[in-house]
Parts: sequence; C-alpha cells; structure tokens
Amino acid sequence: MGDNKPHADQKYIEALLKNDTTILTEIYEKFAPKVIGYIKKNNGDEQSAQDVIQETLIAIYKQAKEKGLQLTCPFDAYFFLLCKRKWLNELKKSSRKEVTINEEIVSVNDESVRFVEETEIFNAKHELYTKMFDQLGKACKELLKVTFTIKSMEEVAEKLGQSYAYVRKKKSLCIGQLTQLVQNAPQFNQIQNLL
Amino acid sequence: MTPEEKYELFEKHCSQELSINEKVRLNKLIEEDDAVKEELRVYEELYLHLDAGFNSEKELEALKNNLKEIGEPFFLEKATKEEVKKEFHQEINSGSKVIRMPSWVYVAAASIAVIIGSYFFSQNDPVYNDFAEIPRLSIVERGGKEENITNAEKAFNSQNYVVAEKYLSALLSKDKSNSEYQFYYGISLLEQDKYNKATQVFEKLHQGKSAYKHKAVWFEALNQLKQKKYNECVELLKILPKEAEDYNLAVKLINRLD
Repeated sequence: MGDNKPHADQKYIEALLKNDTTILTEIYEKFAPKVIGYIKKNNGDEQSAQDVIQETLIAIYKQAKEKGLQLTCPFDAYFFLLCKRKWLNELKKSSRKEVTINEEIVSVNDESVRFVEETEIFNAKHELYTKMFDQLGKACKELLKVTFTIKSMEEVAEKLGQSYAYVRKKKSLCIGQLTQLVQNAPQFNQIQNLL
Repeated sequence: MTPEEKYELFEKHCSQELSINEKVRLNKLIEEDDAVKEELRVYEELYLHLDAGFNSEKELEALKNNLKEIGEPFFLEKATKEEVKKEFHQEINSGSKVIRMPSWVYVAAASIAVIIGSYFFSQNDPVYNDFAEIPRLSIVERGGKEENITNAEKAFNSQNYVVAEKYLSALLSKDKSNSEYQFYYGISLLEQDKYNKATQVFEKLHQGKSAYKHKAVWFEALNQLKQKKYNECVELLKILPKEAEDYNLAVKLINRLD
C-alpha cells in the first residue's frame, strides 16, 4: 500500500496533525452520524459513541504522527470500521451478557481492512510500550523524558551536570532495558503474531 | 560485545551518529545474529515512540481539547428534544436551591469588587471581563409560541450559556442563515471558553453583510483577549471602522494593550 498515491481523504489525517478545526468539524458532521447510529443500535448510547469517536481519532493522530500514516482508501470506511471494532471490543470487555449485535452490511474493501488492522496493531503496540515504560525506574523515566524533550544532548549533559558520553550511555541503557521489557512481555508475541 | 556496547551502537544508529567503523560493526552484528537484528528493530521503534510521545504531549492535549469542544455541541445537537427540555427544567428548578443573600452582602461584595477590580485594572493586562458587555437576547415575538425561542432567550439572559447554546443550536439547525441566532450562539460559546468554535461563528458573521458584521469582530477580538492572545486581539480591533458601535471601546482597549 506504500507505493499508491494518498487518497483525497488524506486531508482528514492532515487535519488531525494540524488540529484544523474546520476540517475536524467536517469529520464529525460527515462521519459521526453513522457511528452513532451503529453504537446506539448495539447496546450503546450517545456518550459511548462520543468516547469511541474521540479515542479513534486520537489513535489515528498518533499513528500519523509516529508512522506518517498515508491513506490510500476512503476515510469513511476506515474510520467507521475502526470505531465499530473498538465498540465491539468494549462490549466484549464489559460484563453485559445479553449483547445482541445488529450487523449492518457495510461496503468495506480489502484495503480499508488492511488499514484498520494496521491501526489496531499500532494501538496495541502503543499500549504495551506505555505500560512497559511505566515499569522503568524513576531515574530512567526522568532521563528519557529530558533527553527526548531537549533535543541537544550537550544541553542535557550540561543540565544534568554530566558528560555527553555518560548521558548518551545512560540513555541507551534505559532504552535497552525498555526493549527487553517489551520483548519479554507476553502481549508482545501476541502482537507479533498479528503481523 | 557487552550489552552496554551494543546499546550504545543502537543509540548512535538511531541518532545517526555512527562512525564508518561503528556502522561496519553494527551491520556485521545484525547479519550474524537475528536476535540482535530483532532487538534493534524494537529499539528503533521504541526510540520513535518515545520521541513522538514526549514531543507531542502539548499538541496531543490541544487536539483532545479541540475534539471535545467540536464534538460536544454536535452530540448535544443530536440529543432528543426531551432530554434538552428535561435538563433545562432541572437547571431552572435548581434555582430554588440558591442561597439568598441579604442585599447588604451584595453591596459590600460589590464595593470590595470595585476596590480589587480597580487595583488590578490599573496594574495588570486588561482582561475579557473588563470589556465584555453581553447584550440581552430579545427574540421572542409577541404571541410567539416557538418553545426553542422562548427557552433560548430565557437561558441566555439568565447567563445559562450551556442551555442557551443548545437551544440556539436547535434554532440554527432550522434557520442556518439567521445572523441574530448566530451572534448569540457565538457569545454562548465564548462564555463557555469554546474559543475555536466561537471563532468560526464570528468569522462567518464578519464575512456576511448582517447587522452583526462589526459586532462579530469586536467579540472575536474579545475572544482573543480572553485567551491572552494580545497581538491577535489588537489586529482585529484595528479593522473596526469608526462607525462601528464598539469603536470607542476598541480604541480604549488598543491603548491598554499597547
């Protein structure tokens, strides 16, 4: 999917990156009613729909920011499918037993499904990385925050009163530790299997 | 190679600081050991994750707030009329729970407010409340029975802007080009600090030819003032023509901001 030209709906991804109110409003106007309709038909209410929509848009933003998401399929199908699967997952997680799913026939092509799966894998990884980061010691967390926020390592070294080489070494060890935590987590293999 | 050396090579690879010799060493390491190759892949991904995460915290927060701001009225617009009505009545009824203060308390409070207000007024940057005079909404026609109109007017004039926004929004859904509804809808948003949405409304009004053309500029300037965006505020004030109702106030505000 990488070689194809971006779809005209890439503008919605750009709007998320630029926080463009006009186009973001258009997203709500054009695409939210279908999601609300689906969630309301399937044991949800407007509040749940609002949460699902906001969380889905944030997930898309994160993927675009980190991985440079380039849509080659219509936003409509991609967004609706993401929201729908997110809602179904939440229904599964909640203890509501008598859940009836009113399936709708939605025209979704393979490409949309591939994009949806890619976003879901990205989300799962993101959650795992955040969880593992929390397991790092306080010193590592702080050092990583400083080194990634202040771009110049010389500046960081000066701020911490350490040498440049020492700070870089410490940073590499902290990310190394995080790498091991991630690789050893059971969820990591589950995600790998999805790829 | 010790883990320390390995991670230092990974780090230099990610920050593009590898020397030619180090590049050769790393490539050899990857070719010989798939586990190292995989570890480098995860390391790189985490590097990107941390970089994007720490550097877009503020941006992400702004996006979340904006989405909430955009989404909320939209969902409220979709709420059933009954729900809105219920909420409105609840808010009206809750008025009875307001503790009534004797009138002298108001007088004393007002005097203190004047003293404190004039002190800060002369000391600090001008604030929104110094300049914002909210006009009264008067849209109910004699004998008019449109409930949304009555409710919008009641809510707006009792400064219940959350409810006023809902009713004005409902009125606008039937009469999109009504500039009066638009103007008061913009103020309701501004009073709730829904800055971006208010800007959209005022900008649209300014581009139109209604009686609110200049008023919209004045309130958009106040919108910027409320966000402490002083330069943007001054730029807007400068476009107000002399015949605008708020021209004198605008000049006063420009002088305060200079």
